[in-house]
Amino acid sequence: MSLLAVRNLVIDYAETRALDGADLDLARGETLGLVGESGSGKSTLGSAVGRLLPTTARRTEGEVLVAGEPVFDLPAREVRKLRKKHLGFVFQDPIASLDPTMRVGNQLRLVLGRGGDVRFHLGRVKLDDPRVLRAYPHQLSGGMAQRVAIAMAMATSPELLVADEPTAALDTQVREEVLNVVFSLAADAGTSILWLSHDLPAVARRCDQVAVMYGGRVVERGPAREVLGRPVHPYTAALAGSAPAAAGHGVRLEPVPGRPPVLTGPSPGCAFAPRCAFAEERCDHERPQPVLVREQEVLCHRAAELSEAETPREVTA
Amino acid sequence: MRLLMWWSGRALSSAATLLGVSVLIFAAVRMMPGGFAETVLGPFATAEQEAELAARYGLDQPVLLQYGHWLAAVGGGDFGVSMISRQPVGAELLARLPITAELTVLAVAASALFGVPLGVLTAVRARPGGGGAAGRLLSGLGVSVPEFVLGSLVVFVFSRHALGLEVGSWVPLTQDPAANLATMVLPAAVLSVFAISVTARTTRDAVMGVLVEPYVTAAVGRGESPWFIVRHHILRNAATPVVTLLGTITAYLLGGALIVEHVFNLPGVGSYIVQAVGRRDYAVVQAGVLLAAAVFIVMNVLIDLLVGVLDPRLGVLAGRRS
Repeated sequence: MSLLAVRNLVIDYAETRALDGADLDLARGETLGLVGESGSGKSTLGSAVGRLLPTTARRTEGEVLVAGEPVFDLPAREVRKLRKKHLGFVFQDPIASLDPTMRVGNQLRLVLGRGGDVRFHLGRVKLDDPRVLRAYPHQLSGGMAQRVAIAMAMATSPELLVADEPTAALDTQVREEVLNVVFSLAADAGTSILWLSHDLPAVARRCDQVAVMYGGRVVERGPAREVLGRPVHPYTAALAGSAPAAAGHGVRLEPVPGRPPVLTGPSPGCAFAPRCAFAEERCDHERPQPVLVREQEVLCHRAAELSEAETPREVTA
Repeated sequence: MRLLMWWSGRALSSAATLLGVSVLIFAAVRMMPGGFAETVLGPFATAEQEAELAARYGLDQPVLLQYGHWLAAVGGGDFGVSMISRQPVGAELLARLPITAELTVLAVAASALFGVPLGVLTAVRARPGGGGAAGRLLSGLGVSVPEFVLGSLVVFVFSRHALGLEVGSWVPLTQDPAANLATMVLPAAVLSVFAISVTARTTRDAVMGVLVEPYVTAAVGRGESPWFIVRHHILRNAATPVVTLLGTITAYLLGGALIVEHVFNLPGVGSYIVQAVGRRDYAVVQAGVLLAAAVFIVMNVLIDLLVGVLDPRLGVLAGRRS
């Protein structure tokens, strides 16, 4: 049984559809990088795992199972228990995710409870300066604040850590250090990671699995090296092609042409069709169903043909 | 050093504000139609009689000179003598202050005790789209019903029917605390209607604002219960506007609950000022308004200090590394 299973999840805000039937699986101890453009539904999916969506969000269809428990169908008390026992969250803006009116030491003590060793937990995230305990969040650097947030999220050794672009607000030098802390702590505790990221090369280096989101659906998922190395879905191929590190020296970066969609209801066909170089007539009005190609699951009508082409990326050029 | 700078800055600006208020009130009192002599002597007095009375109180001197005399006396702690009762204004205000203060304490305590929990509760229970309408209607009503309407209504009902509480009389606190409270409850309740409504609404807005903060989502993600989050993360973060409001209400009421004291016939600062305005008792009006302004200024300094303690980002010493 997988630790996390998302089944055909549809999440609507007042006028817009954030998730349009997303599927995702994550096994215990595995790390999964969830990638996609802004607005593809990554954050909504990440928040949905802990039922942390804003009150304006509505689950229209589907379910989320964490350790077999249907998160959206549990009574509030059970959801709290589930979060406490199984889940940890780290967010994008580290300083805003700490209480601005409480000293860092007090916040940690509040999370750890009586008998919790604050120094030990700060040490685990490589914060040894005791002055951190006396400081208020606004007096910390982003990197320090994110380490504190990580210490708080990992204090209970959760089974699943959802990290929503934890390094997006940090300086480049600090990013790697913070990611090292997250991944080594998780490895020690046997915690699975769902890492929401824009950073394709970093995901390729650190994650076992990759899931690519587009238009509120996971359009391709599978082992990281396969999905990013030999992408099948034209969108994954375009995304991988637009990542700076993917290009050899002197090779022109190919931007993904067009704009990502804003859905107001179910997409009638493939949401990527208007930007896709391989789109056919049926792509506009027939929703693609998951197809297994090699080791990855792909949402594309032409997945089988495209995978036979040697390197689909070159076909787009 | 920073603290010293802050204090001296506040003291200077406070003094300047008070001086400005004194000029305004001195001018305003003298611009009221119907001067002191006219009001006291009635419509059938001769011009000679009025001139004689004005001369006795120095009202025939140039206004600037009058102001100078008054300011010098006030600076020395002398607020002058009531032109009607011939009693020192300072002593009279001091004697009436406890009544106004008691009224203020009761009304503000009621706002904090009922308004804050009501605001927190309605905010935490709020659902998008639905609900909140009844609360908004009720608080809107509470904010908009004028005190003289509500006060008169209460006086009317309680004087027509024996409901256990007397209106129109007042018993000193030192004489009989229980009887005193019985005479204070109704006026305090009338004042509270506005204060509670406004406090509940401000608290609700403040809590709603904090509820969407990432640190609250983070606490929810850690599996904390709603009341744990309210107690540890929301109350203090939502406190700034509420504390500011309660402080402002306190200052406002301490300056004299003019209408309510008058309607309930309580011998507080407010009814003193209302009477004085009616009789053109310049010294009393000037002292009363100056006192209200001073209370406001002091209260604002207190609010700033308290807010700084509640939210370290806004403190007097914010930016200092700890």
